[in-house]
Amino acid sequence: MKFYFPDSQDLVSPTYDFLHDEYSPLRVRQRDDLYAHEVLSRPPYDGILVSKAIVDGSVRGAGKYTAPQRARLHRLGVRKFFRLPRGVETLGDNGAFNYVEERIPPVTVRETLDFYQECGFDAGVSVDHVIFGYDPDATPETVDTEWAERRLLTLRLAAEFIEAVDAGNSTIQPVGAAQGWSPDSYADSVRQLQSMGYRRIALGGMVPLKTPDIIRCLEKIAEVRRPETQLHLLGITRIESMEEFARLGIASFDSTSAFRQSFMDDRRNYHSPETDYVAVRVPQVEGNSTLKRNILGGVVSQRDAIRTERECLRRLRRYDSGDCPLESVLDALSQYEAITKSEKTYLDAYRRTLEATPWKACSCALCREHGIEIIIFRGTERNKRRGFHNLSVLFKKMKKLTLCSTNGSRRG
Amino acid sequence: MADKYTLCLPALRIRQGKHYIYCFGVDGKRIHDFTTVSRVRREDDHLQGYQRPEVLSHINAIRRYLESDGAMLPNAVVLAFDERVKFKVSKTATLVDYTTVGELIIPIDEALPENDKPAWLVDGQQRSAAIRDAELAEFPIAAVGFIADGQDHQRSQFILVNNTKPLPKGLIHELLPDTAGHLPARYARRQLPTRIMARLNNEVTTQSDIDSPFRGLISTPTVPDGYIKDNSVLKMIENSLYEGALYQYRDPRDGSGDEEAMLLHLKIFWGLVKATFPEAWSLPPRKSRLSHGVGIQALGYVMDHLTDGIPARELPTLDLGKPLARLKSVCAWTSGVWEFGNGESRRWNGLQNTPSDVRLLSNHLLRSIR
Ligand SMILES: [Zn+2]
Repeated sequence: MKFYFPDSQDLVSPTYDFLHDEYSPLRVRQRDDLYAHEVLSRPPYDGILVSKAIVDGSVRGAGKYTAPQRARLHRLGVRKFFRLPRGVETLGDNGAFNYVEERIPPVTVRETLDFYQECGFDAGVSVDHVIFGYDPDATPETVDTEWAERRLLTLRLAAEFIEAVDAGNSTIQPVGAAQGWSPDSYADSVRQLQSMGYRRIALGGMVPLKTPDIIRCLEKIAEVRRPETQLHLLGITRIESMEEFARLGIASFDSTSAFRQSFMDDRRNYHSPETDYVAVRVPQVEGNSTLKRNILGGVVSQRDAIRTERECLRRLRRYDSGDCPLESVLDALSQYEAITKSEKTYLDAYRRTLEATPWKACSCALCREHGIEIIIFRGTERNKRRGFHNLSVLFKKMKKLTLCSTNGSRRG
Repeated sequence: MADKYTLCLPALRIRQGKHYIYCFGVDGKRIHDFTTVSRVRREDDHLQGYQRPEVLSHINAIRRYLESDGAMLPNAVVLAFDERVKFKVSKTATLVDYTTVGELIIPIDEALPENDKPAWLVDGQQRSAAIRDAELAEFPIAAVGFIADGQDHQRSQFILVNNTKPLPKGLIHELLPDTAGHLPARYARRQLPTRIMARLNNEVTTQSDIDSPFRGLISTPTVPDGYIKDNSVLKMIENSLYEGALYQYRDPRDGSGDEEAMLLHLKIFWGLVKATFPEAWSLPPRKSRLSHGVGIQALGYVMDHLTDGIPARELPTLDLGKPLARLKSVCAWTSGVWEFGNGESRRWNGLQNTPSDVRLLSNHLLRSIR
């Protein structure tokens, strides 16, 4: 099974100064910066997924690319822009979540195909419209009319898309988008897409679904799926169910969750093959809005805050080299928690992380280079590196599963 | 154990009207021993203190400079003393009657809380924090002090001292290329682009750049007759340097670049632009959209499109004149109408230097040469 990483312009700066926490004044974003596949010794994904909405913007927001970056993506094509090594695939899509509230997609099939072609994607997903709801018992007659309309619209756009691909002698592999609100409706979408000629189908709108519901849909889809049809799960990881997914015909999926957990999750920030750890929070005095407010208001002394912040970092680093006892690190962290007026304490969780020293056991290039810095929850450069590390852990877990899934599909 | 002692610093007392100010040197590492940086806070509903918190990014920039070779901080920090600080005259007779030589006597008690220190820092908070943080044993600086008549006096001094205007942009663009040594981040970044621009524009100094199509055309304080805005050219260069064809000459590790290759690249391409549109090139933006910000930037994208990844010395083999000639039929630099397709059109001068118009024109030009 293949894993795609959705692009959201997530890169790290190789010249970032960790001791002083500053960028080189001469750094050029994206160009001097490095993607996960460039900092790790091997790419932690089989492919990248790039949304048109992220590049060009959509009704919700202006996109994440500057005009010159966008121009360069179109000029160089997706492979060169992302500096992808051989073997990493590219998949384009619309980013339907960015216009989920619109009545109809604000983008045409033509515009979408032009985007895929100009950027030279290996494959592209047809234009779709997300159904934000699940009702396993509803039939096309009884279901919310908007849901039914969205499914039919998605199918109509898929028909238009594959026609345009064929007519234009495009080298893009067309991927049909399937939407639905129930096992039956998803299965019917897949059946229709197959008869339009699609050999690859992306299942959309399943992110909010509970795993058993996804499995029920996949089981129903499996009844109509032709052996050569490959399924892609949009936006879903659920590593614990991957073997089951693979058995039911899922050939690929994409997800940001392992990456985002490094800085979005309350506890599971640093992944290891066996378990997850909390990252040690040492917020920057300047980056913490509560602290900043309290300093401005004269409630907290900026001098004390800076002194304690530095002491935490100093002790953490010395702990890593064996020159500082754990209690003394926790002591500084607890003082800093008090100064930052943290709503809850993480000290017990920190103890678990620091006792286990999981970064010392990791062989990824980032943990090797940065040591304990990678587990410090602080600023985008550390947090994204930890996210990249998580991707590499996920990827290794994935590759272990692959063996089972090939066996499974041979059986099934 | 906290110490109690007196710091005696040689000083000059200067009379200004009915006030005295004191000039002296002091080790920046010791400033925080007797100085408080009072911040705005409320006590019993009264506004106390007057200073903003430290700006760490700014402090880091200064610290980095201080740790560099040959650093110098010639401007003085300003301190407001309270009445505990005394001045002792050591020599009454000087050549001028407004200056007196003597000693400042500052009582230091390390046990005193922050707010009870005898001196308040009116100006120089970032600098003294940078000295505090720098990896240096000592760093003596110039200081100016006055004994204040209370907090209002101190506050007004603070506002006066911090009311200086930033330097105008045009002047900075002109000063940067020849500035040596450490520069603040936002200037350091601009130095290479401004140097390239200066050489493209330069009329007299470098004979080697006599072949620049921009020669004498870019308007700057010393080239007032130029009609192409310096900012338009600078944006085009920066775009290409960060996102386009000029990036190939840049070293991402230290931000330096092969200047000669960049200049050659620009001269070859823009020389062809000038040759393709001689009339539009010779007219000011008011009469031509080519010398206007929108034209310079859109053609910058055309340059990047046609030449990205190709070294300057190979450009002559590309036959760039051909795609540029193809632009002739779709351009309306000085008269007529731009036809953008899909029924969208603009009068020749209906394009402005806005991101959306630059994008509109760039897309139009790129479509025509593809
Ligand atoms: Zn690692």
